[in-house]
Amino acid sequence: MTDSLLVVERVSRRFGGVRAVDDASFAVPRGLITGLIGPNGAGKTTLFNVISGFLQADAGVVTFDGRRLNKLPPHRVARAGLVRTFQAPRILTRMSVLENLMLGGVRQPGEHLGLGLLLGDRSGRERELGAEAMTMLDLLRLTHLAGAYAGTLSGGQRKLLELGRALMAAPRLMLLDEPIAGVAPTLAAQLLEHITKLRDARGVTILMIEHDMEAVMSICDRVVAMDGGRVLATGTPAEVQRNEKVIESYLGSIRHAGREDPQRSPREAN
Amino acid sequence: MEFLNPQFWTFVGVVAGVYGLLALALYVQFSMAGLPNFGHVAFMALAAYTMALLVIRAHVPLAWASLAGIAAAVALGFLLGVPSLRLRADYLAIATVAGSEMIRYLSMNLSFTGGPVGSVGMLGPTELAKYTTSWDPFIEGITGTLRSLLGDLASNDFSMLCLAWAVLLLFLLLLRRLEKSPWGRVMKSIREDEEAAASLGKNVYAFKLQALVLGGILGGLAGILWALEIAVFSPNDFQPTLTFYAYLILILGGMNRIWAIPIGAVLFGVLYSGTRFLGFYPLSLVDSGARAYLRLLIVGVVLVVLMAVRPEGMFGKRQELLLEK
Repeated sequence: MTDSLLVVERVSRRFGGVRAVDDASFAVPRGLITGLIGPNGAGKTTLFNVISGFLQADAGVVTFDGRRLNKLPPHRVARAGLVRTFQAPRILTRMSVLENLMLGGVRQPGEHLGLGLLLGDRSGRERELGAEAMTMLDLLRLTHLAGAYAGTLSGGQRKLLELGRALMAAPRLMLLDEPIAGVAPTLAAQLLEHITKLRDARGVTILMIEHDMEAVMSICDRVVAMDGGRVLATGTPAEVQRNEKVIESYLGSIRHAGREDPQRSPREAN
Repeated sequence: MEFLNPQFWTFVGVVAGVYGLLALALYVQFSMAGLPNFGHVAFMALAAYTMALLVIRAHVPLAWASLAGIAAAVALGFLLGVPSLRLRADYLAIATVAGSEMIRYLSMNLSFTGGPVGSVGMLGPTELAKYTTSWDPFIEGITGTLRSLLGDLASNDFSMLCLAWAVLLLFLLLLRRLEKSPWGRVMKSIREDEEAAASLGKNVYAFKLQALVLGGILGGLAGILWALEIAVFSPNDFQPTLTFYAYLILILGGMNRIWAIPIGAVLFGVLYSGTRFLGFYPLSLVDSGARAYLRLLIVGVVLVVLMAVRPEGMFGKRQELLLEK
């Protein structure tokens, strides 16, 4: 078994009386795609928010590449190489598609007030970044939209753009929150292809929440199943699929269908 | 006829320059970083009061006192920002409104700030206080230089006009440059969605604080220029409406167009001061005291009409209004 890039140990997070994440432990192996599955309200997104620093854990430890992430603010987590996307893509609507991508770029000296004033938009790094962003657009097949406001993109294109923007931030681990939910089938296939390519060509480790079982079974190397804030099972997709507890939780959730996720993101919960 | 009086129009120009600077300060906070500051006038007031107090009561040279005034405005930026910036934007809005009114009421009720009479009363009722003693020869020096170049056009008022607009345009160019830099890109992203910015490794809090402080510097500078222009000021010169005039200038030009600020400022100056010539029939039936309030009405009506016809401002892009977050 390969070593783990991310280790979640006995993490809990409560909202009032609700145990959104309850004593969850699992590991994400380096260089692989790990799927995080579970019915609505299982605590997947809350766990993502805890790992990425948007929420603090009440208990437990999150270790990324040997480094404790607890108490780090989101931007420090991102700089450590752990970059996330959101369930509803958070693109910057009144900025161009190209600007969205360039924002993600790492090592930008011009982000300092003084250097920004000195360099303006004409630094070497800025030109380099523009070229990197154009390459990314090519890869995402969005080149024709480079100058368009990101707010004019379709839902699927927004997911693509957010994925590309997160990639610009040079992640070693990407947390993808439902990367293909609500995306048209052809675009979804394209997104899955990108995700697989990330693992194979760039060696990026991926942890993704996804409800589409077919997608999970086809691209994930490992699967973590959650319900009621707890981790029910971990293993290969086939193993998890056969797990009695997992089957029971999915059937149970069908019986209680219509229940909605009580805490999607830290802000929307207010 | 007063309408053609160049002195009057020079004054309108200075008003436009100073208010333009105030609008530019607001632009950094509101248009760039998305921070709703509804008490922006506090930066002006605090800088003006600090400067005047230091000159009058501590005999500090005007230049140093002015710098101290700007430093006080920066300190106010920290004071408002440090506790409220981590919270939702609404809390900053509340803190700024409350902060600016606190400063105004304090200055009105403390004796060492001159109370309701303002700067002239800073040494008590028996002595007229003056903070422009060293400013007057300085501005006359500029006028002397300008006279050798421009002849009769030069006057102290005209020098002040040039100074205010030079400061405005200088900072406009600097901020334009910053806006196009990666720094400006991060600011815009925070305005659009601060969680997205944080998820990409941007220290949202630090950037917001920078915006607040930069706005404080420019607002403080506007306050000092204004104090030097009017030579005597009182708490009433820093009414909350000033903040909204700055918003008006931003809205007139187009919210996110930095170079539209001087145009918005001139338009505002003309609307605001030019309306005093509404002395013709049938308006002449109203007495002049009541007519003075007409200009506020007219400024309001013009704004409403503009928002109905061109909600994006003169130079704004309508598409930006339509894109949801």
